[in-house]
Amino acid sequence: MALVDVYAGPQQRIADVGDYFALLKPRVMSLVIFTGLAGIVAAPGHIHVLSAFTALLCIAVAAGASGALNMAYDSDIDAIMARTATRPIPMGHIAREEALMFGWALSIASVTIMGLFINLLAAGLLAFTIFFYVVVYTLWLKRSTAQNIVIGGLAGALPPAIGWAAVTGSLSFAPLVMVAITFLWTPPHFWALALFRSDDYARAGVPMMPVVAGKTSTRRQIFAYTLLLLPAGLAPAVLGFAGPLYLAAVGAISAWFLFAATKVLFERDETKEPAAKKLFFVSIAYLFVLFAALIAERLIGIAPFGAWL
Amino acid sequence: MDEHEIEEHNARARRRRNIAVALVLVGMVVLFFLMTIVRLGGHVFDG
Repeated sequence: MALVDVYAGPQQRIADVGDYFALLKPRVMSLVIFTGLAGIVAAPGHIHVLSAFTALLCIAVAAGASGALNMAYDSDIDAIMARTATRPIPMGHIAREEALMFGWALSIASVTIMGLFINLLAAGLLAFTIFFYVVVYTLWLKRSTAQNIVIGGLAGALPPAIGWAAVTGSLSFAPLVMVAITFLWTPPHFWALALFRSDDYARAGVPMMPVVAGKTSTRRQIFAYTLLLLPAGLAPAVLGFAGPLYLAAVGAISAWFLFAATKVLFERDETKEPAAKKLFFVSIAYLFVLFAALIAERLIGIAPFGAWL
Repeated sequence: MDEHEIEEHNARARRRRNIAVALVLVGMVVLFFLMTIVRLGGHVFDG
């Protein structure tokens, strides 16, 4: 009877399945799955469809695990920022310690399964990606330098290389070009977001570029990275890795990206930042179109993949 | 949320969590079985 008395009291809301799903950052995960799939599909050689599925599942679970760990370690920041205040930990739906256990368990499981069933290079790259995102980006760079998302962007850029390694057991020039594209894409994408969320970041004390260097400098840097990104995006076609469909699709969306980045450069409405909002969505469309074109060329058999070997 | 609503939510959440854990476990068993067959390359049926 005494035990019942001890535990009697107001009930707490317990976490639902949806709370755990939200902890995996499903929108980020979907982009990682897509670029990882591009690496698998673009790689030369054969992989059993179930092995490809398993590799992609491991990439997806590792991305989700990284998201959960990021939310656990950044829960103090998330509680302050309007964009992230409704996440499961600041809302009190999941305890920070529980999210940590969940994230690390999924990380270990995804790397182990990748190593057991696919190959050690893919598992090693997956482990490195989690380490880089959680330890290097979340725990170190995010709170200490305005270059946080530039360097940390490497973690988000690696999935195509992991997909490629899952098929071939090795790396070559082509997957590194795909990594370089996503790496150069990250600054314009995140700094566009940071421009229209700069008050949020300033309040939370996160040294994002607009907070540290100001909005004018950020606009110039977005434009500079755009000028680096667009040739890199066209490189697969120029170097003979991709075909005419890729060249046409990426050429068209590159023009749209350049137009949107130019509007950001000359934006004067620093309150609403409409050009930055537009660029944020154009950048997502850019990455989607680029990897979709790579996948499509491979699937319909018009990609010049002999050059990839 | 009042006490009664929390109680209802918790009962639903517990049930959904149990189903999700069961599905993940069954999924992993099936995946491990099928991947083992794939890795053995079909020779497992040669006797």
